[in-house]
Amino acid sequence: MIEVEALTKRYGSTTAVDGLTFTARPGTVTGFLGPNGAGKSTTMRMVVGLERPTSGSATVAGQRYADLPAPLHAVGVMLDTRSVHPGRTAYKHLLAMAQTHGIGKARVREVIAQTGLEPAAHRRAGTFSLGMGQRLGIAGALLGDPATLILDEPVNGLDPDGVLWIRRLVRDLAAEGRTVLLSSHLMHELALCADRVVIIGRGRLLADATVQEIVARSERAGTVRVRTTEPEALARELLAAGAQVAPQDGGALQVRGVSVDDVGTAAGRCGATVLELGSESGSLEEAYLQLTGDAVEYRAAGTQGGAR
Amino acid sequence: MSATSTTLGTARAAAATRPGPTFARLMTAEWTKLTSLRSPWWVAGVTVAVAALITYLSAQASSGDPGFQPLDSLPSGLILAQVGPLVLGVLAGAGEFRTGAFRTTFTLAPRRWPVLAAQALSLTAFALATAVLATAACVVGLMPAVASRDITVDLTAGDTPGVLLGMVLLLVGLALFGFAVGVLLRRTVPAMLTALFLVLILPIVLMMASEPMVGGADTASLSSPDQVEQVGVLGTLVVASPGGAAQLMTTPASFGPMPGSPDLGPVGGGLVFGAWILVLLVAAAVRLRTRDVR
Repeated sequence: MIEVEALTKRYGSTTAVDGLTFTARPGTVTGFLGPNGAGKSTTMRMVVGLERPTSGSATVAGQRYADLPAPLHAVGVMLDTRSVHPGRTAYKHLLAMAQTHGIGKARVREVIAQTGLEPAAHRRAGTFSLGMGQRLGIAGALLGDPATLILDEPVNGLDPDGVLWIRRLVRDLAAEGRTVLLSSHLMHELALCADRVVIIGRGRLLADATVQEIVARSERAGTVRVRTTEPEALARELLAAGAQVAPQDGGALQVRGVSVDDVGTAAGRCGATVLELGSESGSLEEAYLQLTGDAVEYRAAGTQGGAR
Repeated sequence: MSATSTTLGTARAAAATRPGPTFARLMTAEWTKLTSLRSPWWVAGVTVAVAALITYLSAQASSGDPGFQPLDSLPSGLILAQVGPLVLGVLAGAGEFRTGAFRTTFTLAPRRWPVLAAQALSLTAFALATAVLATAACVVGLMPAVASRDITVDLTAGDTPGVLLGMVLLLVGLALFGFAVGVLLRRTVPAMLTALFLVLILPIVLMMASEPMVGGADTASLSSPDQVEQVGVLGTLVVASPGGAAQLMTTPASFGPMPGSPDLGPVGGGLVFGAWILVLLVAAAVRLRTRDVR
């Protein structure tokens, strides 16, 4: 269980995290989502005690991280692939981690096998690809068999095999009753493995809901798309029936407030030939872009209008 | 991945007591970390080799003198070899921060300062072994010159045991000094330059500045003995600087003080240098404890 309450971090005049409150519960995968620079990593660093909050609190299993008697057994942490000395082999890195908590070599070999690192175990971490580095980070997080896992962008740099592996791993870990907090800037990635999604932008909470709830918030969700030979006539007919109509390219209309059946019937009434008709479900990606649209800190100048 | 749940389940049951990072465990881990890198071994090897080589060359050069005293050449090998432990210390201290490995280290031991103590102790052990070997290498380096002149040397007589001990402690101290500067500054290059400046360059600058000629004294007063004996501010600064104090550790007590400096002797020099190390380590610990690590 991770509880973050009114967490705030300021560096001089910039506010990296601004009054953030959310809870990651046992048995669920909580996705932590936001554009680059939104404050995800800063929040995670505060949760594990590397940085001190300006105000607010973050606790793991009801305790401040710094007060945990055995952090490695309580929380598995993977913050950044650059948390390993590049001159040390994967095995020695994990062994030194294990030794701080009196964990034996057998367990080190176990997590190496579990993360598929055997062929690279005795290579220096500096020679690793991004994907191998991620596996090493995850091996370190699993080492203490913790009830809570905090993984910062674990999918970054993994090949398709690795991505599937991670999804299954976090699902399995949550199914065992563990708390998993998983950050990403890729919405669709979290849609596939997270139960709940906490979305932040510019350090503030934008949404904290289940994946389905967030999809439902998409502007497109619940609308009907229809393409016809007589868009104007159909639009008049639909407006008369109390629908909201937005004309789109190629004679298509986006209709809100009526069902697919209603649109089909209306087309029949005004004699418009329907070329295409269907309800739209919206996507997580869209909902995410709408939520974070105003909160993106870095954006290419040219895409400013087009991205909306 | 059906094995995942079972292995995790068994491990969880086995680790029922789940004790945390005790100091002994941190020591074990830090020793593993230090010795699993290649650079400490390289630096140690080069230090020992350079100590032997420079002592050999220095003894050979002075063996032609009629009053050749082989044991006077003993600490000469350290003039260059002392850079080794300094580099070792800086790399050990700043390396964690340079590479980001500190994130792993301090999430495992969030109280942080016990890690610093464990790192300092592991480094001390490693540096002590290196220092003993380097000092032995200096003795070995002396032997060809000794043999060529048919002189016998007695390492147990006079100032020699003190000098040998001073050499070992100097090298260990330099490693700790470099370590403290490395942890404090957290970046390898600035830490390396700072440590080298404080230990090697600053004493020379102060010594040159304390020369009476530079101070504008007239030549007549130079010849008067009491002028030479006088302890000056700059002369005091020389032996109070970390490098100046450290060099006293290998200067035999019977040599007396440097002109214009208070007579600290090898023990006094060692204490001043030790105090510098302690102050820097405490400063590093305070910074580590009170500031964020990013």
